[in-house]
Amino acid sequence: MKPSALPLLLLLLCLAACTTQSRMSLPELTVIQDETSRGDCTVIFPQGRWQFTHAIDFSLADGSGTIVIGVTSLDGDELACVLMTIEGFTLFEAIYREGEVLEVRRAAAPFDKPAFAEGLMHDVLMIFQTPAAEKVRYGHLADNTPVCRFTGDDGWITDIMLTADGCWQINAFTPELTKDRSLVGRSCRSMDDTPIPAYLELQNLGRAGYTLKMRLISAENLNR
Amino acid sequence: MKHLLLIVLTLLVPIRALAGEPTQQIPVRLHSVQADFVQEKHLKILARPIISTGTFIFQAPQSLRWEYQSPIASVLLMHDGKLKKYMEHDGKFQEERGMGLDSMQVVLAEISNWLDGRFTDNEMFTVSFPDKQTILLTPKEQGFAALISRIRLKLADQQGLLDEVTIFEGPDSYTRLTFTNSILNREIPVSRFNVR
Repeated sequence: MKPSALPLLLLLLCLAACTTQSRMSLPELTVIQDETSRGDCTVIFPQGRWQFTHAIDFSLADGSGTIVIGVTSLDGDELACVLMTIEGFTLFEAIYREGEVLEVRRAAAPFDKPAFAEGLMHDVLMIFQTPAAEKVRYGHLADNTPVCRFTGDDGWITDIMLTADGCWQINAFTPELTKDRSLVGRSCRSMDDTPIPAYLELQNLGRAGYTLKMRLISAENLNR
Repeated sequence: MKHLLLIVLTLLVPIRALAGEPTQQIPVRLHSVQADFVQEKHLKILARPIISTGTFIFQAPQSLRWEYQSPIASVLLMHDGKLKKYMEHDGKFQEERGMGLDSMQVVLAEISNWLDGRFTDNEMFTVSFPDKQTILLTPKEQGFAALISRIRLKLADQQGLLDEVTIFEGPDSYTRLTFTNSILNREIPVSRFNVR
């Protein structure tokens, strides 16, 4: 091996180690039995009618990407989602109603693939909706981070953590207990008792391998 | 007036859909236009429209600076047959790649046509004039019409300017651009079209 190749090899090994760590398994939960000391993690999900607008910086694993405007409209069990270019052209528009098939109203290439719609709604639901769960457990991780653990009837597990800075973090795990998505909210401000992050970073750790950096443009509570 | 409309089209029409043949070079009448704009995106599912603001500068024959100040900073520059777009990522402007530049150049060729007022000759649109202040453009190609159903132009009282452009994507979806502070035929430094 040439001497100059050694740093590259070390870098690759380091990157491989980092990758392994980021795709970590479900961490052990120490369950809290005392109901009074449990935090209410569902407080992070907006209730009723809201409209959120984000600048979404979409990065693929190969470094390519772009920025689009994403609008999410919530109305009870109905969630509508729109992606548009800065110039106003609608790239994708879909409506999700609980218990119904996703209604895609418009999808321009390359956003017209069924897998894209499914993945996008998966991401949006992770951000805005309490996970469907047949079991919820409360506790803390090894580093004492408080966690609400939602286990769905499909085997997927979602950990919601309320962080010390008043914001939150969500990790989703596959039925095989491997981390699939990570969502970190930063710089939250309280709107009607809901902590709304100014920044969100969603990492898809699966085969798709992408990162969404979302900057909040506006959040409107339409209940008022 | 017409170059404003074409500039708008250049930016708002999906690039890949514009596969028309370039038209022959037409003499340009106006020298330059610059204006502020407010862009409203309306969709049925939106309780409130999405508002964007920016400025643009156009200089004949084919130089353009189209800049958004909010909600996302971005600049599109066209000059000397080259097209570049920069967007702000994490506080820094980066050039966007893979924009389908060849197709954009086809649109620019269309601009020359419209600048000369030859709406009826346009290969992409059927043109109608509901009243003296309004021009309606309807795509001829079915594939294009699936993306943009029609475009409505509202002419300003001052010759050479537009008050408003509305691009209809469907019955409940449209983008309206309203122009203000328009200035005609002011000398524009070339650097405005090739330096971010």
